[in-house]
Amino acid sequence: MGKSSKDKRDLYYRKAKEEGYRARSAFKLLQLNDQFHFLDDPNLKRVVDLCAAPGSWSQVLSRKLFEGQKDVEGRKIVAVDLQKMSPIDHVTTIQADITHPKTLNRILELFGNEKADFVCSDGAPDVTGLHDLDEYIQQQLIMSALQLTCCVLKRNGTFIAKIFRGRDIDMLYSQLGYLFDKIVCAKPRSSRGTSMEAFIVCLSYNPPQDWEPKLDINQSTEQFFEKIPSLNGISELSIDDQSHTKAQLPSWSLEERSIAEFMSCGGLDSFDSDATYHIDADDSRQRESLDPVQSPTNPPYKEALELKRRGKLTRAI
Amino acid sequence: MKEISHYGPSLCSKFHEKLVYVGYGSSIHVYDYHTGDIINECNIFHRNKVHHIRICTAGYALICGMKSFSVVKLDDLMSCSEVLNNERVIAECIISGEFSYECTQLYLLTCYNEVMVIDFQGKIISRNSVYGERSLLYSGSIKVMSKDEVYVNAGTVMGGVLIWNLFTAHMMHNLVGHIGSIFHVTLSDDGGFVASCSDDRSIRLWDFKTGSELSIGWGHTARIWQLKFFNDNKNLISISEDCTCRVWSISTHSEAKIELVQRNVFEVHLTKNAWSIDVHDGDMIAVSTGNDGRIKLTDLQLASRHGDEQECFSVQDISRSTGTKFENGEIIKGFQWYEFGLVAVTSLGNILTYTTNNGWRFQMNNTKFISYCYVNGVSDENVAVFSNNSGHIMMLKFNDDAEDVIAKSEYHASELSKTNNCMVCKYGSSHFLILLESPNPKDVFLCLIVNSATLAIEEKIPYSKPHNFSSSCVEVYQDNVLVGSRYSTLAIYSLKSGSNPYVVRRINPGDTTTSIKYIETVGGKAIFSVTNRDGYYNFIKINFNLDLHEQDTPVTVIHSNKIVRGFLEHAYMDSSGDYIIHGFKSNLFYIYNETKGYEITSEACGGAHRQWRLSSTSDGWILVYIKASNIFFRRFHKRAIPETLRDGIHGREIRDIAIKKDKMYNKGYLFCTGSEDTSIKLCHFAKDSGRVTTFWTQRKHVSGLQRCAFINEDLFISSSAREELLLWEVDTESLERPFMNLRQVLPTSTTNPDLRIMDFSVQFIENNVGFILAAVYSDSAIKAWFFDMRNSTFHLLLDGKYETCCMLNVCLVQYQENLYVVTTPTDGHLVFYNISNCIPFKIKNQSVELISDEVQILSSALPNFDLKLPVHQSGIKALAHAIDSSGRLKFYTGGDDNAIGICTMTIEESTGKIEGHISAFKPNGAASTITSCGLIDQGKFLVTTSVDQLVKVWDISKDKISLEKSQYVTVADTGSSDSITTEDGSTTLLIGGVGLSIFQVPCE
Ligand SMILES: C[S@@+](CC[C@H](N)C(=O)[O-])C[C@H]1O[C@@H](n2cnc3c(N)ncnc32)[C@H](O)[C@@H]1O
Repeated sequence: MGKSSKDKRDLYYRKAKEEGYRARSAFKLLQLNDQFHFLDDPNLKRVVDLCAAPGSWSQVLSRKLFEGQKDVEGRKIVAVDLQKMSPIDHVTTIQADITHPKTLNRILELFGNEKADFVCSDGAPDVTGLHDLDEYIQQQLIMSALQLTCCVLKRNGTFIAKIFRGRDIDMLYSQLGYLFDKIVCAKPRSSRGTSMEAFIVCLSYNPPQDWEPKLDINQSTEQFFEKIPSLNGISELSIDDQSHTKAQLPSWSLEERSIAEFMSCGGLDSFDSDATYHIDADDSRQRESLDPVQSPTNPPYKEALELKRRGKLTRAI
Repeated sequence: MKEISHYGPSLCSKFHEKLVYVGYGSSIHVYDYHTGDIINECNIFHRNKVHHIRICTAGYALICGMKSFSVVKLDDLMSCSEVLNNERVIAECIISGEFSYECTQLYLLTCYNEVMVIDFQGKIISRNSVYGERSLLYSGSIKVMSKDEVYVNAGTVMGGVLIWNLFTAHMMHNLVGHIGSIFHVTLSDDGGFVASCSDDRSIRLWDFKTGSELSIGWGHTARIWQLKFFNDNKNLISISEDCTCRVWSISTHSEAKIELVQRNVFEVHLTKNAWSIDVHDGDMIAVSTGNDGRIKLTDLQLASRHGDEQECFSVQDISRSTGTKFENGEIIKGFQWYEFGLVAVTSLGNILTYTTNNGWRFQMNNTKFISYCYVNGVSDENVAVFSNNSGHIMMLKFNDDAEDVIAKSEYHASELSKTNNCMVCKYGSSHFLILLESPNPKDVFLCLIVNSATLAIEEKIPYSKPHNFSSSCVEVYQDNVLVGSRYSTLAIYSLKSGSNPYVVRRINPGDTTTSIKYIETVGGKAIFSVTNRDGYYNFIKINFNLDLHEQDTPVTVIHSNKIVRGFLEHAYMDSSGDYIIHGFKSNLFYIYNETKGYEITSEACGGAHRQWRLSSTSDGWILVYIKASNIFFRRFHKRAIPETLRDGIHGREIRDIAIKKDKMYNKGYLFCTGSEDTSIKLCHFAKDSGRVTTFWTQRKHVSGLQRCAFINEDLFISSSAREELLLWEVDTESLERPFMNLRQVLPTSTTNPDLRIMDFSVQFIENNVGFILAAVYSDSAIKAWFFDMRNSTFHLLLDGKYETCCMLNVCLVQYQENLYVVTTPTDGHLVFYNISNCIPFKIKNQSVELISDEVQILSSALPNFDLKLPVHQSGIKALAHAIDSSGRLKFYTGGDDNAIGICTMTIEESTGKIEGHISAFKPNGAASTITSCGLIDQGKFLVTTSVDQLVKVWDISKDKISLEKSQYVTVADTGSSDSITTEDGSTTLLIGGVGLSIFQVPCE
């Protein structure tokens, strides 16, 4: 499909290009903000953008925090992704895997003793097509982001993350309920109705009083949360025995689940990302196809594509 | 509610002795792969799918799936229907598991690169990991070399492969070189090699001792999911998203260069994703599984198992063994295969035979056949027919070992000025026909009836030849000769009346008709399969009971389709009712099971331009072809083991399901599935067992399916993106198989359509003159059409737009002398348009009728909507309606906002406008999007499916929505359903998504 036909189908894609955003995802954050106003708080200073590449959320954050602001003292944006990101004003970027405890350590070091006001994650793993695994990995990305959040977010801070509304999403809602006062599942109009994507908006960070989150680079994300018995489905393992030996693994039981309130964001007057729009033929500015702001990154299979193009991968042996 | 059958992704398979264990949904299927018999289906996990199976010599299986694992006795796997009590869970997802060397403990590798050592009772003995290496893994495996030598091979997202020693927790290698996430890594049994694959689509072979990269294997065109060493670590097999499995050799002839070389490619699964592969070393059979739910067996010795698969003779070879000298440039010009072997003719008219026992033999020379000669024959009569381009024919009949010519006859067809085609076909039990065609259009089309025993020509029938006709294939049915031609044309000659042929033109858009094959007789009409070289195939029904020329439509096309790609040369129905086709794609000759959708065999013979012929033998087929003036015999033996252990369904998501509810078919029902893979399958399910049989895979759509529905007993509609809406006619007269033919295509709004047709609905006009079709589009368009049954055309009645948002559902509802178009856009409203006064039909209380016989079609604008009722926060994905006992119109809605609503509508008497309100609303009807809903049990209950993989039955009597039943479904991306309630009151529910599950809901 040609570039212009993609423009035609997707008004958010056009709009992103017109407004200088690297991806249409920017509007998801903006529409979430229209509903919850977490970026409109004048006291918002330090934010973390996880799984940030190519960087449109960081651009939104950079504009909100720095553009036309007089007092930018102490403001900070840290953006992390597996992929390399080209620089964005006022944003510190790190190329790393957020599921790696060492990465979280690096981010924490950047904040020193200060707490962040807002953490977001738009992380999406490469989908394999195995639904249960894809949804699980997606949830692990959220858990990694949440682990960092627990270490850097100030009390009453906000955490938002991309979710796939699949079979175990109610388990995640239930777990998040132990750490935040209010959990909403929000679907911006710019997120396709046909996709399982939505955003979990976690308001007012309020961890159990007696729990001191502590990052240990030799622990997995699950182990990090094991210390909050209620958060972990398998409470038998949360005994304070360091080695966890001789613990009996439990039989299967249905995990605790709850359904978060659903909220559609962006207003019904905003563009529908499922609709096919027709370009007004008179509007020449609209008609010409715009160049993408950010050229696509190199896929891991670039060399395979090149071999295929040269006819090196044909079937006949 | 009980699941009676499931077809869907299978993620693992394992040979053990004479059985194969396959993870299928949350169960394990055990098969005897020699017979194909299923020995047991055993449910292992409550919800998780089985991802992984290991078997130990002590007779136990370790089964893992996400956070669950289970240790089960093999005896139990073979006899119990479930072992759910054995299921245990850990906190993290299990990537891989293994038994300890002495089969006393389990090792579970978690996705955070930790190995839990556990005893059989589920007690944790230790937890081992490499300090600081706790990032997420996509893959991994554990190799137990000895009691105290166990290696963990971990595939990370960003950091390559990590290999560590389980007991010392010491990292031995970090293998870097791949780009992207590692999807599989395995260590060979002898501890020599490590093989890995990643998002970069390459396979890498590493030296386990040194950690150095030895070789890179390129070949797969998509991601690779599993690798397996076999044949004493001399080979590797890989399985990929590209649906092929590939065999690689590890050539170690020189120490200096160890290379991974691709040796064979097998297409094993459908459309997208194959997940697992295992090899039985003794039998050299591979088993593979994929998203399509098929369990496929592949013969890794397809071209060498019997030893006689391939033979090749050069002209010199033949000359030497016959003792006849071949002239310079003398080549083989034609051949025909018999039970004894081959009859061939050379370019100098030398006639040769070849038998397996005696090799090549010179039979005779006939100078009439120098340079131009066709060879045909009747194989089971040992008759060969030679013909040249000037009307000369010679017939030879051989004895059973081709030693002697027992009959011979020659003939010159002086009726023809020239001959350019000669076809031979058996006629009855004692005759055959020779059909001779001349390039001169004025010449007759000559038919000779020949006695098979004496080779005497008993009758000559000079038929007239239709214009624009060039014969290419023939079939005889009773006393009729069906001749296929170029221009997709067919001529039917009667041997009895000798009258002019009945000609059918342009059966499909292709050119040369390549085969005609009688299939069966139903209701006094004969059904034939007709193939076209350009890939089209059709089934036609012919009524031979009356003179063809005296009937309105003696020949009807009842089925039309096109193969995936390549040239189509021939097709037939095999003894199990599968449609077997063969032809060429690029340089490959293939034989394909079109019904089940897999390649049976193939041969890289160089392509279709060669001289070739496929003949069936007592044990399969033989392909004889000429390449570089050598003659090749390629025998394809019937397989000793089955091709599949289970036939699956689509390789991608099923977007809609439609049951043909008007009548039962072979103790069950016919149904269609429309998939993201752009195809529609016409299938059958057995009511008792839920067993699904696929008859056809229709490929007319070019984009992913959106909706499909049966609109009456024989019409079916499907819609998809690119503005495709197709009207199909289903023929169920034959109980062997139904047929499905494209009847009409809805006109599109532009020549390069890019709109999705999201949904449609129909209302029939009294006396079956046609129907009104309402369709909704992704650009907010709403259109209504009249389909005139009498001339099969669509006429646009109404055209308009709601707003700018996408429309999700539509239904045409006749209610109190009004006809409404009811739609649900993505904005969560129910929108009502009263179109009664805008269409040229009379809306009565019970029916819609023609105003006059002549329909006056004037397309007009869609009127303004009467009512827009806000119901959900975002898109209404599921919609059903009914008129309740007190005559009120009810709508049942399921939304993207997880909610379920009931709206009750009435018509306000003073204004005549429709009015309504939400009479019940359930905000958290599901944990995620509700994707389909349907009424069962005469509207007493509503069934919903949702993406959280739950099917729920709601009691909706008395304007309340109360949960009656809830049931987990294995089908992910649960998106479509249909149900049928039978006379006994029980309901069968079909649920589609990534896979298909069939449930039985007993009556209340
Ligand atoms: C939808 S994109 C984010 C788009 C971004 N919010 C923007 O507006 O430009 C998802 C990103 O998640 C990243 N990602 C996935 N897994 C990750 C991981 N384990 N660590 C860091 N980033 C990850 C991917 O590299 C990808 O760039």
